[in-house]
Amino acid sequence: MKYSYYPGCAQHGTAVDYRISVGAVFGRLGIDLEEVKNWNCCGALHVPDRTVKTGLCARTLASARGLDMATPCNLCYSNLMRARVALQDSALRTMVNEALIEKYDGNTKPKHLLEVIVKDLGLAKLTEQVKRPLKIKAVPYYGCLLTRPENDFDSPQNPKSLDELILSLGAEPVKYYYKTKCCGGPILLTDEDIALGLAKELLVMAKETGADCIVVTCPMCHLQLDAKQKAVESKFNIRIDLSVIYFTQLMGLAMGFDPKELGLSQHLVPTHKLIAKIGGRQ
Amino acid sequence: MKKEPIIPESRDPAFIEQVIKTPVGEKIPTCMQCGICAGSCPVSQEMDYSPRELVRMVQLGLKKEVLSSSTIWICTTCFSCSVRCPRGIHPTELMETLKPIAIAEGIKNRNVKFDNVFSDVIKTNGRASEFLLISKYSLTEPGMIKQLPFGLSMMVKGKLPLSIQRMENTRELEAIFNLGEKSREKK
Repeated sequence: MKYSYYPGCAQHGTAVDYRISVGAVFGRLGIDLEEVKNWNCCGALHVPDRTVKTGLCARTLASARGLDMATPCNLCYSNLMRARVALQDSALRTMVNEALIEKYDGNTKPKHLLEVIVKDLGLAKLTEQVKRPLKIKAVPYYGCLLTRPENDFDSPQNPKSLDELILSLGAEPVKYYYKTKCCGGPILLTDEDIALGLAKELLVMAKETGADCIVVTCPMCHLQLDAKQKAVESKFNIRIDLSVIYFTQLMGLAMGFDPKELGLSQHLVPTHKLIAKIGGRQ
Repeated sequence: MKKEPIIPESRDPAFIEQVIKTPVGEKIPTCMQCGICAGSCPVSQEMDYSPRELVRMVQLGLKKEVLSSSTIWICTTCFSCSVRCPRGIHPTELMETLKPIAIAEGIKNRNVKFDNVFSDVIKTNGRASEFLLISKYSLTEPGMIKQLPFGLSMMVKGKLPLSIQRMENTRELEAIFNLGEKSREKK
């Protein structure tokens, strides 16, 4: 299995732990992620002009060299999917292509890494690689942009793929009614009080399920729920203390990797209780 | 923001037309004010006008009130309203559409500042580096100084590198950033 790989900006910054776990897990599974050369930002949520954003994504999609394009980030995935849909309009594609050296033909299919595992590899294949079934309870948190506004592998309002992945690793996905509710990440820097309020709701509800961790698929969700967890605790005078891990880290733990090989020591909320429960070395 | 009574003189038919001819504008006249958008919105209680009210205000052509509302900036772009609207109106995309119009009309707030900083960083480097973004934004928003301890805790974990990410070759970026202007000219 081979994909052109679009890592997105966060992989070299706040999501360095995600990058480490993706490298470990996908390497073991024999899935080849060939990083796109000279890639550019997708525009995230803060390049306000939609046509500019479509242009940025068109340049990325044009560099796929006939392969499906895998990406680890919900924002990147959502932007690439939206651009793909928008660029089916040939007039827009022609205009955008005038700005590009390598032209986009309209055919690249973006895939989130979760889709690559659940749909392309298949969970049966993943289960074969499980060396240490995880006897834990985990909150499946999808966030917004994995399934909205465009995706073609799961339901936009009641997705199940991450639940199924958690189950295939021997863990129990808990019922979590906020699984697609916004974490507040996009407005963290501009409206922090509102953003932390949203994160608080998610964290309190997650804590109430009695789960051992929250599983995420997106660097921005991770930033909000892990890195900002302490800020939520002090702002609202509550105690959460709940590990938040990327789905690739969860896979890695089940596949028998040492937690250090998965970037788990780089979280802001300590992960040692979770690791101890799983029976992994610290 | 204090809500003023609406008077007929504040209606601007040109604004209605401007929004309706955008890719998300076509269905706006069909809004029946059911409120699913506002009910789905995780932040509607923080906005001066809910998404439902904003759609109605667009229908009425209340240009000034729409473009100066906090609604379009507080929207977290979660698309919950867009996948639920029974009329297919896509309120999230409407917010996105209104942002550049508001910027062109000279609306200034910290969200616009951040979007400007972000766009500048991408236009120059092609990639976003969190440290560079936060530093540049902090220059215009002194309140950001209180984020310093958080920044340090991220650095300790190796999650906020000081190095600037940059494409090896940025020559297409200018043409891509000119696409916004170009698409407006075509209309």
